[in-house]
Parts: sequence; structure tokens; C-alpha cells
Amino acid sequence: MRLGDALARRTGAGPYLVPYVLVDRGRSRRLGATVRALRAGGATAVELGFPFSDPIADGPVLEAASGRALGRGTSWSDLRRGVRVAAAILPTAVMTYANPVWRRGLDRAFEELAAAGASGLIVPDLSWEETGPWRRAARRSGLDLVLFAAPGTSLDRVGRIAAQARGFLYLVARYGTSGSGAARSARELRPMVDAAHRAAPKLAVLVGFGVRDRVTREAALASGADGVIVGTALEERLAAGASYGELTRWVARLAR
Amino acid sequence: MPRRFGAYGGAYVPETLVPALEELARTWREARRDPSFRRELRTLSETLGGRPTPLYFARNLTRRAGGAEIWLKREDLVHGGAHKFNNALGQGLLARRMGKPRLIAETGAGQHGVATAMIGAALGLRTEVYMGVVDMRRQRPNVERMQLLGARIHPVTTGSRTLKDAINAALRDWIANVRTTHYLLGSAVGPHPFPSLVADFQSVIGREIRRQSVRAFGRLPDLAVACVGGGSNAIGTFHPLLATSVDLLGVEAGGRSPRSAGAASLTRGRPGILHGTFSYVLQDADGQVADTESVSAGLDYAGVGPEHAWLRDTGRARYLAVRDRDALTAFRWLAQDEGILPALEPSHAVFAAVREAHRRPSSQHVVVTLSGRGDKDLEVVRRAPR
Repeated sequence: MRLGDALARRTGAGPYLVPYVLVDRGRSRRLGATVRALRAGGATAVELGFPFSDPIADGPVLEAASGRALGRGTSWSDLRRGVRVAAAILPTAVMTYANPVWRRGLDRAFEELAAAGASGLIVPDLSWEETGPWRRAARRSGLDLVLFAAPGTSLDRVGRIAAQARGFLYLVARYGTSGSGAARSARELRPMVDAAHRAAPKLAVLVGFGVRDRVTREAALASGADGVIVGTALEERLAAGASYGELTRWVARLAR
Repeated sequence: MPRRFGAYGGAYVPETLVPALEELARTWREARRDPSFRRELRTLSETLGGRPTPLYFARNLTRRAGGAEIWLKREDLVHGGAHKFNNALGQGLLARRMGKPRLIAETGAGQHGVATAMIGAALGLRTEVYMGVVDMRRQRPNVERMQLLGARIHPVTTGSRTLKDAINAALRDWIANVRTTHYLLGSAVGPHPFPSLVADFQSVIGREIRRQSVRAFGRLPDLAVACVGGGSNAIGTFHPLLATSVDLLGVEAGGRSPRSAGAASLTRGRPGILHGTFSYVLQDADGQVADTESVSAGLDYAGVGPEHAWLRDTGRARYLAVRDRDALTAFRWLAQDEGILPALEPSHAVFAAVREAHRRPSSQHVVVTLSGRGDKDLEVVRRAPR
């Protein structure tokens, strides 16, 4: 299923909850049960992260998780295996930085991920100006390339980005890396959400960076966004060895 | 101001940084046409920075090489002890023009951190510098200088704890504080407009070489040599010479052993995306950036400026790697032959320049950019095996 179909903006659907899980060779045997636990709690789709040596958009928690995963030898084949496992349970988008994909070769990387069952790709250091070849490769492979808007993005630019985004528009909720600090208020985010909806009425807008509990989720959704992404708060639980039952209950509280 | 150099360059950054990069490019386009900005840049370059720097005939080193004449472009005499001042001053003035009260910088050898701290003090801008703890240990004197100049140092303990990780940390700070902070990037790397901007501010080196060599020996040099980490002193040396027939040679850090890749991105790396730019990168098959090693903290970097990648591919400049041992040898040559203590970074270039001069007739002229002085390196040199 394409990411944009799983997360399509339509009456009665959503709000969507998309958790982020980093692929880590050291926890590969638990990946399937983890994603099932997230689904049981009400997750709509899952973002599978592929670690990168220089994750400049990540805060300390996800950066440390990346470092641990690479230290345990996590490779591109682990990502493909992880996608096969996760995509059998939930629609799966891969999130990684530009270089691992570029190094693989855009067409080859996109085809391999699509063949493994991925629905979309999210690249946080790919600014809109550079997306041309990536959007073409995504189209050829049938993957949805998710694009970003951020607090300083002009409304005009938000509209132009949303018109070219596929899957969903990733709205960064605040200035800063993932996981720390407070999200911008709904009042500040709303004009951006509206601009995206005007430009792409069927495209969901998901808010990420700074969403970690019901309060921050409610605040994000009050902007009119169609859902949220949670990464750091989930990684903290995974790193602390939370049980599958605990994960399900935690997600359920967030998704309700 | 080009965004791409052939296929290289671009701006691969989180969307949060895009408005700040656009503002920086716009401000520089306006400032370079503004006579009062240019006057202030020139005046401070001269009165605070000590420009122009001399072009010195290294008679004894020339005798040692036994070939072409070797001339040193003395950027080690710039205020602060390195060419880094040229760029820090220019970007500091732009930061003030943009109304940003806070500067952040990364530093490897500490030279860029010192230059930024000086400019921050002179222009009244708060300055914070990110530096890997490995580099803080081996470049201790520069850490102390930065602190004395009023800068706050953030030790970086992640990854390889060198320049690459200091840039990661500075970029993260910038993403969080982009409205009030200018990231004063110290090399010709990073997202557009930094490679072009830094090349512009450093091109004063090559312009002076052009003028001074005509005055000193009646024509342009046959060869210009400079060391390349990110490549700012090299691009500053090369840029004004690109349209001439002068041979250009960039010298990377070859590291300890012939098996090591050292930090030689152009000679041993592959095209990739690091710190916002598409250029040559030392990386593994999965695109993970490799750890580098070099005796010189300032060259110890897995990436390189995108314009160098293009100059390499087009053949307009040549690049080679010089090993730690040979750089240390050149350090001692210059100390004992000329009474000049060079930084370990340009010592790599000096070694290559001597070898090149040896192969060329005495009628030719080789200019090597001595990008910094070596006071910071005394401890490293003292401990190195002879």
C-alpha cells in the first residue's frame, strides 16, 4: 500500500499516529513484536529509521541510539530485513539521511526498499531544492517521498512543498533537533497546516519533533494537523526495555 | 554566487535552516555591492588583520629542494596566526549586518575558533565554539586563547570527537537558534552559500599572490601549492589563479601509514553528501562516514569543499596526500632552514612543494601558502618520533 493511501486525508479518518523505530541489529529479533505492539495500540503506520554516522537533525537520544546501532554493525541489509518484517504488519516508511541512500544509488536504493515492502521515504537533510532526482526515483519505484516544512518556512513555500510531497507532509513543530524543547503552539502552526491543506487537499500533515505525550499531541492536533509522529519518547522506552504490553498501552494512550 | 560546481555543492540541510541560508546569500549579495561594507572589510583586514601578508623568498629551502624557487605566502602572519581571520572577519561583518548577536563556530585545530573569538570580541558579538575533545587535548594552547578572548567552548564528546563531530554539534545548535545566531563556518564546506562565501573572503590570498609575484619575479608563479582539509586556504589561493595557466596543487593529509586513508577525501574518498554539501567523502559501502586520522587536527576531516571536488574532476587542480611523517619533516625543514615554525597543516603543503620544486628547473617559481603558524603544535611535534 502506498503511504499516501494509508494516511490519506479523508472524513472520519485519523488523527494518525506514526511511531519511529530505529533499525538496530542488536534488537532485530524484537522488531516484529515491537511493531505489532505499536499496531495494537493504534499506530497507523511506522517509520523505520536507518542509522547514519552524522545525524544532524537528531537530538541526543536518537543520536546515541544511532551510534549504538552502528556500533553493533547495523547495515543496509538489516534495513531491508527490517522493512520486510515491519511492512507485513503496518505501512512502513523508511527514514534516513541523504548519504546512505545516495551511496547506494537512488534508483537501486528506492527499488530495494520498495521490493522489501516499504511505502515511503523520509530524508530530513534533503532540502526541497535538492529533491528533483529523488522525486523522480521515487515515482519510478512507486515509493512516496515525504517532504518537510519547518517553523521558518514561508506559507507560500509550504504550499509549493505540499504540492510536491507524497505520503504526507512532515511539519517540524519547532526550532531544534528531535526530542528536546517544546513544540510551537497550535496557533503558530495552524497557518502552515492550512497552507498545506489548501495546496494539497488530500495530503495529510503530520507534526513531529517535540511530540512526546498526550499534552503535546493535543497541542499539535489543535493546529488542524492530521496526525503526529513520535520518535524520541518511544526510543526512550525501547532503550529502557519496556515490555510489549507497556508499549501498546503507551501508544494507546497517545492515539486515543 | 554559484550553488553548484559541476555536479557538486548544493544545500542538503533540514528545512529549518533554509531561510537562514537564503538570508545569508542575500545579505552577501547586497553587502558586496555596498561600498561602505567593502571599505570596512578592507580597513579591518589591514588595520586589525595585518594584510597584505608578505610573499617571502625561501632561499634556504629552495637550496634544499635543488630546483625551482620556493616562495611562501605568509598567512601565518595574519592576526591570530592563520588565514582563518580573513573569513571570520567577513562573515562577522555579515552577521552584524543581519542583526544576529551571537556567533557559533566549529574548530579543529583551534585556528578558526581563535579567529572567530577575536572577531566576536572586536565586533561585540557573543561567541561560542564547538570543539572535539580529542582536538582540545592536542591543540591546548588554542583552547586557552579562545577562552581568554571571551569565547565559550563546548567540548564535543560524540563520534570521533574531532572536527566532523564539532560541525555536527554546531549545526544542531544552529537549527535550534537560527533566528538569533550566525553559524560562522570556517571552511569552504557546508551548504550553499558557504563554499562560495568562504572562497570569496579567502580569495584575498590568491589576489595578493598574483600581484606580489609579478612585483617580485616579474610574472605569475608556475605552481601554487596549498594544504586541503575542508579547503579554505587552498580555494582562496586557487580562485584568482583559475583563469591563468598556473598549475594548482592541493595537499591532503595522508595519515600515519600508507594503508590508512588518513583524511584524504579527494584522493581516497568517493562522492557523497556530508554536512550539507555534495562532494568527496571518506565513507564505507553503506554511506557511513569514516573516521579519519591525521597528525594535524585542521586537516582531520572526512569531507572537502565541493569546488575542490569539481577542480579535481575537471583536472584544473591536482590533489595528492602527504603522510604525517613527511609533514613533520617539512615542519623541521622550515624551522631550521628559514626560522619559521609552520602549523602542521601547511607543513603538508611545504613537503609537497619541496618535492615539486626539486622536479622543476631553477627558472620556475613555486608559491606555497603557509596557512598558519605552528605555536599550537609544539607539543605534538615534541612527542612525534623523529
